[in-house]
Amino acid sequence: MVEKVLSVKRKYRVAVAWAQDPYTIGAIHRTVSEGFTDATLIGRSSEIINTCRSEEIDENLFQIVEADDDSIASSMAVGMVKNGQADIVMKGLVGTDIFLKSVMDRENGLMLPGAVLSYVGAIQIPAYHKLLFITDPAVIPYPNLDQKVSMVSYAVDMAHRFGIPKPKVALIAASEKRGKHFSSSADYSTLVEKAEKGEIKDCIIDGPLDLFLACDKSSVEIKGIKTPVNGEADILMFPSLESCNPFYKALMLFARGELAGIIRGTEKPVVVMSRSESSVSKYYCIGLACLMV
Amino acid sequence: MVLNRLNDLKNIVAGGPRKKLVLAAAQDQHSLGAVLKAWKESIVDPILVGDTESIQNICISNNYDITGLRIIHEPDLLKSVEMSVRMVNSKQADVLMKGMVGTSALLKCVLNKEWGLRTGNLLSHFALFEVATYHKVIAVTDVAMNIAPNLKDKIAIVNNSVSCLLRLGYIMPKVAVLGAVEMVNENMEATLHAALLSKMNQRDQIKNCIIDGPLAFDNAVSLESARHKGIKSEVAGDTDLLLMPDIEVGNVLYKSLVFFAKAKVASIILGALAPIVLTSRSDSEQAKFDSILLAAAACK
Repeated sequence: MVEKVLSVKRKYRVAVAWAQDPYTIGAIHRTVSEGFTDATLIGRSSEIINTCRSEEIDENLFQIVEADDDSIASSMAVGMVKNGQADIVMKGLVGTDIFLKSVMDRENGLMLPGAVLSYVGAIQIPAYHKLLFITDPAVIPYPNLDQKVSMVSYAVDMAHRFGIPKPKVALIAASEKRGKHFSSSADYSTLVEKAEKGEIKDCIIDGPLDLFLACDKSSVEIKGIKTPVNGEADILMFPSLESCNPFYKALMLFARGELAGIIRGTEKPVVVMSRSESSVSKYYCIGLACLMV
Repeated sequence: MVLNRLNDLKNIVAGGPRKKLVLAAAQDQHSLGAVLKAWKESIVDPILVGDTESIQNICISNNYDITGLRIIHEPDLLKSVEMSVRMVNSKQADVLMKGMVGTSALLKCVLNKEWGLRTGNLLSHFALFEVATYHKVIAVTDVAMNIAPNLKDKIAIVNNSVSCLLRLGYIMPKVAVLGAVEMVNENMEATLHAALLSKMNQRDQIKNCIIDGPLAFDNAVSLESARHKGIKSEVAGDTDLLLMPDIEVGNVLYKSLVFFAKAKVASIILGALAPIVLTSRSDSEQAKFDSILLAAAACK
């Protein structure tokens, strides 16, 4: 992923909201020293400088802008993208809800008119043979049909940028059987129909599928189920944030996974990571955002 | 005491009299193999109920030695399940296991009012995972049985699981109620349930454990994550039992731990008179064996 970004040979300007956090500064420092970003850190400047020093990072590598409140820092960072001073906005130690409020602000925010705000992640897992794109682990609690359509298109777009012309999309459920107990069954059928009619393009969609049928070829063989995804999913679309969020966190903590992700539906890429995510994950996120500018 | 590895269950089993396991519709190669391995390791004394000829054929073609094993001939599948359930009901067996029969048929017998295994408790699924990067085994419930449990169901599921952990030797196990976020959000029912369960625990309405939630997955299992977010909790980072919001969340998590994190897993059904082993064809031989081991350790 990072190689792809470096091959673009340009610098992206990143504005970081409420930046006084060692993980965030560690990640942004790496992208600055590798030469693909210029960063503006917004927050309590004394704390930012102290954090830099305790991490042995030269604070003069960044532009530091004073803000003494997390929501002001968020709107300043968003404002920099809005008026063309930055290409990417990134969340630091501020809570996601406060940060997204600035992003979604009607007048000064970054939302594209009528667009669905959603999160797409790319996760790298040693036990899987390729990158896995997932949606939505962070923003939409229980997506409706329209939101699911947008979520699929965002994930498909991201897969295309990674050079996968026809990604396989698995619509995830507890079982491959449709059932009235499962709220997403009807939406999943509609998504599959839309893809058959050509309303959702440049991907292969099937579901409901459980995780094994989506990602494990041998399970597909044992169960004798015919699915075009065939245990080789590129994209997993989850029925809820409740299921997607612990999925990626379990993979990061227990399966040595690394996640990068960004917000879609905005004019420019928005980087929102859980505050507890590691520097490495945050670093990949910035790389991904550069790729999606 | 806590379990560090699934193998620690062997110490519990070794400490008591050997438990009797009845395998219903035993003419099933997948479950027979695991049962016979558990027998050879002196973990259970199996009783096989089913079609004797088919059982013997399976044993011959797989080189299983069943000399000295008790087999009860009952070629009819449903009758063999009924007979197995009745044996547990009348205390002739301590553990029930499913063989060549569908889950729903088995559960129908378990829930029979006259001769079934009802206790008045909700039945729930209980799984123990051994993950290389966690400092002890972690129990997860309910990933397979209750589809969308309400608050009352969740109380029953916690109680089932906590009693099981106590039988395994735990004292005041730490229960994390999983949410997508650690804040109570009025639009996410799971977080409301989590808050209520925590308060009911503080007020001693749910006993013998420490409950905290909502906790997102990272805070539940990683102290570093919890600290970074400034969460103060006795449970965070040291969870023994993870309560799932619903089956959709649980199923995905279960499968990701097995497939992507290469976790070892043992699972049983709780809430009946005796532990029930319900493995599926897609479970590994090891998972089936570990489930039998868990059932034997979890017997009263």
